[in-house]
Amino acid sequence: MGLLTELARGLVRGADRMSPFTSKRGPRSYNKGRGAKKPGVLTSNKKFILIKEMVPQFVVPDLEGFKLKPYVSYRAPEGSEPPMTAKQLFTEVVAPRIEKDVKAGAFDPNNLEKYGFEPTQEGKLFQLFPKNYVR
Amino acid sequence: MRLSALLCAGRLRLPAGYRHGTWRPGTAAAQLRNPPGLRRRKIFVEPIAREDWKVFRGDTVQVLTGKDAGKQAMVTQVVRARNWVVVEGLNTHYRYVNRTTKYAGTYIASEAPLLLNQISLVDPEDRKPTEVEWRYTEEGERVRVSLRSGRIIPLPLRQRWDGIVPEQWIDGPKDTTVEDALDKTYLPSLKTFEEEIMDAMGIVETRRAKKSYWY
Repeated sequence: MGLLTELARGLVRGADRMSPFTSKRGPRSYNKGRGAKKPGVLTSNKKFILIKEMVPQFVVPDLEGFKLKPYVSYRAPEGSEPPMTAKQLFTEVVAPRIEKDVKAGAFDPNNLEKYGFEPTQEGKLFQLFPKNYVR
Repeated sequence: MRLSALLCAGRLRLPAGYRHGTWRPGTAAAQLRNPPGLRRRKIFVEPIAREDWKVFRGDTVQVLTGKDAGKQAMVTQVVRARNWVVVEGLNTHYRYVNRTTKYAGTYIASEAPLLLNQISLVDPEDRKPTEVEWRYTEEGERVRVSLRSGRIIPLPLRQRWDGIVPEQWIDGPKDTTVEDALDKTYLPSLKTFEEEIMDAMGIVETRRAKKSYWY
């Protein structure tokens, strides 16, 4: 009896101060957002100008004949391929091209851009570092 | 709210001095009896290493002491934190469930947990209690061996907590089939996923974002 009633008494003494004070609590005039970003700009006239580029758009390719579905069957066993690493990607994509050029004698160490080398991320739409895309 | 968020995170972090019962931590019954901030007298339990644990759910065991001494039954629940084993139909006491103001409740038998030293694993052919040890076979598999006769006690079939048997699963409309899931269609390329989709859909984007800084 003793411990549980003590706990109950402890909670009865006041409100839960640690829970967040959201817009679901408080009076009707207490209007607070829940963290949505604004897709535009608020002017000095208190008019909101929507910027079309800031409104997110879903770019979905045509999924005709696409066999993968949202869930995987329970009967499928675990995958056997290890996850792709940068080294593996290099050995599979870039190394054969470099080997071919070295054997033909056309390898130029100053012109590595033709194998996919990017000296700088400036000017790219999807920069790798700092990463400016979601996925 | 925070406890449920912890449960969703996966590995449950229980407070130090948590008193384990026969209820799974996280269920409503366990939360009712173990509210946050509860401090109870410590129960001392013989420490048994994780590798030395021999009794699993689905094993047949014999009760050695108590009211149902000498009887054998299957294990329905194991609580390792307290060295407890709940055996089906044995070591029962009676209680009323689903009691309302009008209805007195159903009188059912409920099993009380037994400690490991009140239990003994049973030799599969002899059907007599034996001491059991973990040993390795010729192939290198770790098995439980009965010390009296040397026979291997097979591990009970491990079922999923949600009752799904993968071999008997029937694919629904939103399930990818096994062949499609195991199909290797990945072609490694230096383009990112977004760049490949732009090429596939013929989207050309020449505008670039203005340079911005953050600290």
